[in-house]
Amino acid sequence: MSARDGMDVLVVGAGRMGTALGTLLARLGRRVTLYARREDLARVIDEEHRNPTYLRDVRLPERLRATTDLAAAVTQTPLVVMAVPSQSFRDAARAVGDHLEGDQMVVHTTKGFEVESFNRMSQVLREETCTLKIGVLSGPTIPEELVAGHPTGAVVASAYTEVVEAVQDLFKGGFFRVYGGRDVVGTEVAGAFKNVVSVAAGAVQGLQFGESTRWLLITRGLSEMTRLGAAMGADVLTFAGLAGIGDLAATCVSPHSRSHQLGRRVAAGESVDTVLADLHSIEALPTSDAISRHAARMGLELPIVRAVHGLLHEGWHVQRALAHLMSVPVGDELVAPRTR
Amino acid sequence: MLGAMPISPATPILLTEDDQERLKIEGVLRVMEHVGSDPQRIESALFDTLYEERRRLEKEHDRDKARAQRQFYDQIQAEALRANAQRQRQLLKRIVESFAAEVAGHFDPRFYALATKVVPTGLSVLLNAMSPIELVRAASHGFRTLEERIVVGGEVDAVQRAARHGTVVLVPTHSSNLDSILLGYGIMRMGLPPFLYGAGLNLFEHKFIGIFMHNLGAYTVDRRKQAWVYKEVLKTYAGCTMELGLHNLFFPGGTRSRSGAVETKLKLGLVSTALEAYINNLRRVTERPDVFIVPCTLNYQIVLEGETLIDDHLKEVGKSRYIIEDDEFSKPRRIIDFITKLFALDSRIHMIVSRPMDLFGNTIDDECRSRDRRGRVVDRRKYVMIDGAPAHDGQRDQEYVREIGRAIVERFHRDTVVDATKVLSHVMFEWLREENRDMDVYRLLRTGGAVESLPLSEAHERVDRMLGALRALAADGRARLDDTVAGRDATKVIDEALAHLGCYHRRPAVARRGDRLFHVDRNLLLYYQNRLSGFDLAAGGGRP
Repeated sequence: MSARDGMDVLVVGAGRMGTALGTLLARLGRRVTLYARREDLARVIDEEHRNPTYLRDVRLPERLRATTDLAAAVTQTPLVVMAVPSQSFRDAARAVGDHLEGDQMVVHTTKGFEVESFNRMSQVLREETCTLKIGVLSGPTIPEELVAGHPTGAVVASAYTEVVEAVQDLFKGGFFRVYGGRDVVGTEVAGAFKNVVSVAAGAVQGLQFGESTRWLLITRGLSEMTRLGAAMGADVLTFAGLAGIGDLAATCVSPHSRSHQLGRRVAAGESVDTVLADLHSIEALPTSDAISRHAARMGLELPIVRAVHGLLHEGWHVQRALAHLMSVPVGDELVAPRTR
Repeated sequence: MLGAMPISPATPILLTEDDQERLKIEGVLRVMEHVGSDPQRIESALFDTLYEERRRLEKEHDRDKARAQRQFYDQIQAEALRANAQRQRQLLKRIVESFAAEVAGHFDPRFYALATKVVPTGLSVLLNAMSPIELVRAASHGFRTLEERIVVGGEVDAVQRAARHGTVVLVPTHSSNLDSILLGYGIMRMGLPPFLYGAGLNLFEHKFIGIFMHNLGAYTVDRRKQAWVYKEVLKTYAGCTMELGLHNLFFPGGTRSRSGAVETKLKLGLVSTALEAYINNLRRVTERPDVFIVPCTLNYQIVLEGETLIDDHLKEVGKSRYIIEDDEFSKPRRIIDFITKLFALDSRIHMIVSRPMDLFGNTIDDECRSRDRRGRVVDRRKYVMIDGAPAHDGQRDQEYVREIGRAIVERFHRDTVVDATKVLSHVMFEWLREENRDMDVYRLLRTGGAVESLPLSEAHERVDRMLGALRALAADGRARLDDTVAGRDATKVIDEALAHLGCYHRRPAVARRGDRLFHVDRNLLLYYQNRLSGFDLAAGGGRP
């Protein structure tokens, strides 16, 4: 018996996504442990089978165990799923890395970049852990809908077939369909970028514009996402898949999307700070900053990112953001991606 | 895995004649095992090999050799056409045996064992013989001057420890055919036994170098042989020697860098072989299972074959020329001229070995343990475990090899020694590009653009800026500078670069006339400046 027989999977992070994935896996009969930093949270999950902070209305399966003992949990699992916000990801990865070994796999679900370094989360994992078998799970995965049992799907991208197959096996048998992919860069860029477009989509709704405007924005958002991805070495086809247009469209129309809520409420006149105080950590905030900083360095023009950055970080009024977008010269629609 | 071979534990480093014979047998067995027993696969392997070999022989210069070999293949072909699968397998085995004999044939274990004693003097004489001045000096002062001229630096202690602990696979950058000699010398200077090395037939046949190839631990690689079965024989031979604990060397760039740039696209077949050897060793539970990768950079201020290599790079057709038989290396006078002038300029050649890595990109510490990027000790065996036991996994292992390829490229850049020649070439070429923004690089190289020369004062300013950028990178551990670039001013850097660029090549890359610097051989300028591509000079403020 190998030392990794203690559990099937460890989910690090008891936030919305971590709790939803843990719940889903436990319902599928997997031996899953949810790591929470806070003792009181781990205790409530374990004893009362609910998460008082996220997905509060959901009764968690009894076989979903929570722990604060990271060392013991990491040692016993062949696969770690990191569901941690991008800006605390490095610390979490380092803590996990203290106990990981080379035969273990790590997959993350985080949709963001590190602001200063512009690192993708798989790069952070490579720097902070010894493991090479790294993957990313991304797609239209709105936690509330996942735990409600709605049929949905995602892609798990990794250079290692073993990782892809392990994650597919984990979710086998339920309503969550996991497709395999090899393009880690594209999958990560798509996941992060859609948060920014979603803010703009929310603003469009807050301004009471209709579907034409929303889909103009989503389509141009996809174009910007593809441009950035291509510049970073992604396969442009990835953006036509679940992690690309699938996740982007879902986030831009879903009322559950917090970045969408942020955009809608700011457009309706609330201040960014007020909305942020209401909502928990929002990836769109650091991600728009990270992309905006680095796009310029890469020689890329990304008007939607610019407008969202103005709205969230520079105190732009929503009308100014709109004016900015409307003033961008129009050229051939598909020129930029094709030239790469 | 060398499971069937009884290996003397007392001789993990030096190969006996018996070991050599067993290696051949084991190699043939493994290749045949790889071919398998499927009749279709056997037939295709046999006829593919016959086709490739007969095609090669059509271009063979040595008629006697070609005739004998053709006879051999004709005979096999005639029989193969009417043979059943079992007989075809036997015929294929005959070819594999002939390949194995040829690969290992040039490698003389007695020579190899003796080499630790012979090489120091032999190589010193050879290198000094290339420089008459040095030879005279050496006669009165011993060979000390050579030690000063060829600097063997970097993580020498760590490499020595790794070589005692396990098998070392040295992966150097490759710019010149002189690299083989330099490496032989450097390895000897580090106090290590010769490394096994797959050398091209052209090197064995070379007037100067041929006799030394044995001493360098070389076995033969005939790059004209394209049959996959032959490549499998080479790979298997190298793998078996690694499992025996013999240190190996190969150029991951595959061939000399044509552009002058540090290699970034690597051929990692032998790293893959090293990984296989490591897993086999773990499965066999050997005393010294570990295999370490040691990146190494070879740095010349000027390169013997620089002109031919860059010309070849610039010709579209040249990119497919794998073997160049008519370059400077084929002309002994050019070699002597090169060494004489290089030594007359008090030039130094740097061989820098990086800290050893395991096969997963982790660095090796002083106790030969693996450490991850955060410095944590890592159990490297875990990477190859499947259900608690070491095992091969083709797809996983392929990704590991890619990973180590990236790590090798990173070390190549970090341990490339930046000298004055590269700095001035880079500055001049950047200036040329700026002056001719609308011109593509090929036209610029051909015509030279609108401006012929750069005022010396401006060159000083530009060199100064670049020195600042390079020194910042060096302080950050991202570049390695020679003494002049590290500590001297722009005047000295320019003087030293001009002396080197003007001393050996038929036309200088740059020449000074009065208070201006003129670009002369722009191809060479491109060649030398390319060495700095991949360095983050813009971020360090090197570009105006």
